Formats: sequence, structure tokens, C-alpha cells
Amino acid sequence: MKKLSVKEFYNTKNEDFSLTLLTNPETLENQIISQYLHRPGLALSGYFERYSYNRIQILGETEISYLQSMKDEKLYDRIKELCVYEIPCFIVTKGLSVPEQLEYLANEMKIAILLSKMSTDKLYHSLRKYLEDVFAATKSIHGTLVDVFGVGILLTGKSGIGKGECALDLVERGQCLITDDVVKIILRDDVLMGTSTNDYGHYMEVRGIGLVDIEKMFGIQAVRIQKRIDAQIELMPWQDNMDYERIGLSDNYVDILDVKIPIIYLPVSPGKNVSVIVEVVAMNHILKTYGYDAAKVYTEKLQEDIKRKAKVRNAMIDDKE
Amino acid sequence: MIKKTIIIDNQLGMHARPATMIVKAASKYRAEFKIKKDDTEINGKSIMGVMTLAAEYGSSLELIADGVDEEYLIEEIAELFASKFGEE
Repeated sequence: MKKLSVKEFYNTKNEDFSLTLLTNPETLENQIISQYLHRPGLALSGYFERYSYNRIQILGETEISYLQSMKDEKLYDRIKELCVYEIPCFIVTKGLSVPEQLEYLANEMKIAILLSKMSTDKLYHSLRKYLEDVFAATKSIHGTLVDVFGVGILLTGKSGIGKGECALDLVERGQCLITDDVVKIILRDDVLMGTSTNDYGHYMEVRGIGLVDIEKMFGIQAVRIQKRIDAQIELMPWQDNMDYERIGLSDNYVDILDVKIPIIYLPVSPGKNVSVIVEVVAMNHILKTYGYDAAKVYTEKLQEDIKRKAKVRNAMIDDKE
Repeated sequence: MIKKTIIIDNQLGMHARPATMIVKAASKYRAEFKIKKDDTEINGKSIMGVMTLAAEYGSSLELIADGVDEEYLIEEIAELFASKFGEE
């Protein structure tokens, strides 16, 4: 299971979430193990059944004003009860003032209190998004990711089959490159997002030339930082006995991080223009998404034609005149 | 070159699925393969060609193969028709 230390979170994200540390630095040693957040309203009122203590605890205006309404002694006891749990950290929003007892006990029990200037709602949503990414399932795949007419296509296949050359050709035709050779895939809201494993830019190795900079060469419109992956195209050398799709009525799917995306096995032979086929795959994908399936439409027309002809034939046979 | 005439025996006629089966089977052989219906002759290794015939139940087709393995080709294709492509 993935973990994120409160220290790392605070050091890297304090600006993004406008955080300041209220407690002493030793309190930063805890680990965040959940991507979810919790507003401990019921726990503050004394109900600890099913208390999600292992999530980051968000204290907004409601929680703080509730604490302030409590009598000193009762407040101290309740917070003590709360801080017994292994809470990763508290985040107080809107820069609200924190009751002394809470600050004292948090220091005692080594739970950080981070003070944010953001509103509860805003912090809640952007923090959730950030944590989702941190805890998201990821995978690296050998391949090239391109954006073709807005469709994210993952090109895969053995080394030297021509993924890079195909991507280069597509870029020259006005499509975008996301990354070449290694694609980092992140699962975000049941969608596969592909990006580069580093942020060096959009470099690519072209056999016989070496490294080239796609962004410098083709301009900013030729590149993208990340893209949703809609389909995979596996380039493979032509094999005589391979069962290639001929009509396109049955789709093949591949599982990436438990998300099913269509896969197309594309035979490659010398002199074949692969990039134009990749563009056709992308356009066909768009048509299918909009509810038009060429293979289905054609075969339905064919079936109707056959049926009509059979009817005519039967009529002729039955006609004894 | 050998020729063989067959009658389509499955109710649905030669729709997309049987057409695919024929083309895939024929493509395994080196011989040229043509199918003739009335006055239309098409390449039996081309899926669009075979579907263009829109051959209905009861119609007759002439299978024409030409090449080193023509007999095997005709035999396999004729068998497909005889088995009604696994349909009614």
C-alpha cells in the first residue's frame, strides 16, 4: 500500500494549499495512508463508533465553532479522547484560530496541525484530487502515446517495429506526441491518463540520428503533457497465419489497471503507411463513440438485401401460373 | 483451373459472418479464387467482394480456383457451404 508522510506532504504542498505548521516540527512524522478526508464532527461530539481516524482530519468553521462552544474541561477531555487515535494530521481551514487545548494536546500526542488559508470546500476538493493522484494505481508501459484528432492512442509493439517513426509521421501530419518509449499510466476516476515518466520535455530517439527535440522542431502544437488513453494499437510484423480483423464487428479489448480499452492488432509490412491507418482508427473510434458503427451499418444493409432477394426467389418458386 | 457449383443452403444467406469464414479459409491457399453469381464475378479472398454478391438462400454460386493447391481450396470452401457455416 502507498504511503505519504505528513512531512513530505507539508514540504512539497504547503504553497499549493497555503499551509503553515502550527505545532512543532516533530509532529510531522506521521504517515498518510488514505486518499480520503474526514470531517470529525461526530467524533468531536463524542461518538467514536466507526471513526475514520486514519484519514486527514479537516476542521472547518463548524468544527472549530463547536469546539469553542464547549466548556474548557469538557473540551480538554474530548480532544484527549480524539488524539488517542492514530490520526495522521489535522488541517484547519480559513486560517481559523485553534483552541489552545487542541494545540497543546496535538503537540503532546505528536499530531501535526496545519493551518490553511483556503476555504473548507476549496481545500477539500483540491486536496482530494491531489491525494487521489498520489494514491492512484500506476503502471509503466513500453510504447508511444499520441493524440490523434483528440483520441489518445497508445502504440505498442516490439522494439524496432516503427512506433517512433509512426509517431513522427503523425506529428508531421499535425497530431500530437505525448511521450515516446515509456508511457506512465495513472488511473484517475476510471480513466487511464498517460504521461511521460520525466519532465525533461518531448525528446525522442530516431534510429540512425539519435535524440531529437520534437517541441523545438515542430512547435508547441505538436506536443501534449498528458492525455486520456482511449485505445491501443499493437503493431506487429505481418504473419500469414494470424487471424486479422476483416469486418470489425467484434472488438478486442485489453485490460490496463482494470480498465478495458479497445485494442487493434495492426500488421505492418514494408512500405505500408501506418500513420494514415492510425488516423483512420482514431476517426472510427470517434464515430463509434457517437453511435455510428460502419461495420454494423454495412452488414445490416447486406442482411436486408439478402432477405429481400430470398423473398423474391420464394415468390417466383411459389408462382405456379 | 477447377470449377464447382454449389447452392446456398443456410437460411440467412451469405451475410457477414459466412463471408468472413470463406475469405479467411481461402486466404490460406496460394491458388487464385473467384466466386461467380449470375454475371458477377468477384475475388473470393476479398471480404468486400464476397459481401457484394449478397447471395441469398437457394441461389447458386460457381466457385473457381486456379493454382497449385486449387483442389484443397475448393474442397474446404465447399465443405463450409455444406456445413451451412454452422447455421440453420
